[in-house]
Amino acid sequence: MRFYLFLISLLSFALVSCSDGNGCYESVDTVMVTSFSVDSFKYIKTLVIKGIDRNDVGDTIVIDQDSTLTKRYSLPLSLSADSTGFVINANGKKDTLYIRHSMVISFISENCGFAPDYLISGLRYTSGIDSVKISDKKVNPHSIEKTTNDQNISIYFSSAAH
Amino acid sequence: MTKILASTLVLLLISSLQGFSQKKAEEWRYEGPRVGIDLSRFLTPYMQKGKRNGWELQADVPYKGNWFPTVEMGMQWFDDQHDGFRYKNNGTYARLGVDMNIVKFESMKDHDFAFIGARYGYSLFNQSTDGIGYSNYWGTITTSIPGRTMHAHWAELVFGMKGEIFSNFFLGWTFRAKFPLSVSNDQIMKPYIIPGIGKTTTDVPFDFSFGVYYRFPIFRTKKLPKPIKVGGTTHPAEKDQNNQNYQGSSGTGGRSSGGY
Repeated sequence: MRFYLFLISLLSFALVSCSDGNGCYESVDTVMVTSFSVDSFKYIKTLVIKGIDRNDVGDTIVIDQDSTLTKRYSLPLSLSADSTGFVINANGKKDTLYIRHSMVISFISENCGFAPDYLISGLRYTSGIDSVKISDKKVNPHSIEKTTNDQNISIYFSSAAH
Repeated sequence: MTKILASTLVLLLISSLQGFSQKKAEEWRYEGPRVGIDLSRFLTPYMQKGKRNGWELQADVPYKGNWFPTVEMGMQWFDDQHDGFRYKNNGTYARLGVDMNIVKFESMKDHDFAFIGARYGYSLFNQSTDGIGYSNYWGTITTSIPGRTMHAHWAELVFGMKGEIFSNFFLGWTFRAKFPLSVSNDQIMKPYIIPGIGKTTTDVPFDFSFGVYYRFPIFRTKKLPKPIKVGGTTHPAEKDQNNQNYQGSSGTGGRSSGGY
């Protein structure tokens, strides 16, 4: 029995001591998944989105052509402020959209680390935007996994303005 | 007549001598509380990620031969530096439970046994995280989570063996399946390691440990513990064989008798 005791001890310890994996297989990118549309007859030929940082227009986040209803865009939200502003240039017409939100940094996993979780609390936009529908207030690393026809917000431009 | 009386006296004398020699051959079985230290805790710092240190003491007491009420307690320090954060966790833990011997002791001097058992565990620990960094289009945020005291309760199913390598010195190993029952709720960060449980990245964490133990031989008995019957009936022949083995003999019944 003592022989087996030692043998099994060694084998078991060798098995258990196998180190666990180091890879991160989860999303750590927290982005607000957004769709744009004018109406069923018009489509967006050109779409350029830039961030507004302390009233200055920042770098381009999105630049696209021939956007369709099913196309969705990933917009990052501010890490330090409680609102995020975007300048949206659709078909040559500029509009501004502000998203109010709260944010907490939350733990994903040992290998992936931390990522922000947002909760959208309000919206403000200029007249070229007809309406904005919030489908999911929660913006977190899983938002990017949303399937077709599922997004955090849908932006409907005014048909007359675009 | 004289011959008959003489031969009877000789027979009585022989039988009494045999009885005397049997009494002298009777063996005592020594038992007592056993204390030990988990050696695997000293090896894990070299075999797993993150700086970790700790110790664990274990003790059990035999009860009715095959039952071993057990207490285990220890401390653990964990310091894990990652690219985006540094996680610290330290605390104390204790487990209470019982082991049940599932093999037959083959002789009065045989103390090797295999066991199954159960534990209830409690851990009191503190976790903190600093150097948390995250970057996106808008810049970089650096933050930290201050230390917080937390609790965890869990249950364990254990399987293991202990063998006497020298007189009163044992070497043993234990395989554990751990079932977390409750952990203090922290919405920002669920602890991914808990003293006493280990990594909580799976629903049922498994653990393996081995240690050395010393038994204080303060009790003695002439009875060899009967194996615990788990179920089924006993064949009459097996019953007779077992009865013979419990007379204080050398236990030549062997491994053939089943039904543990």
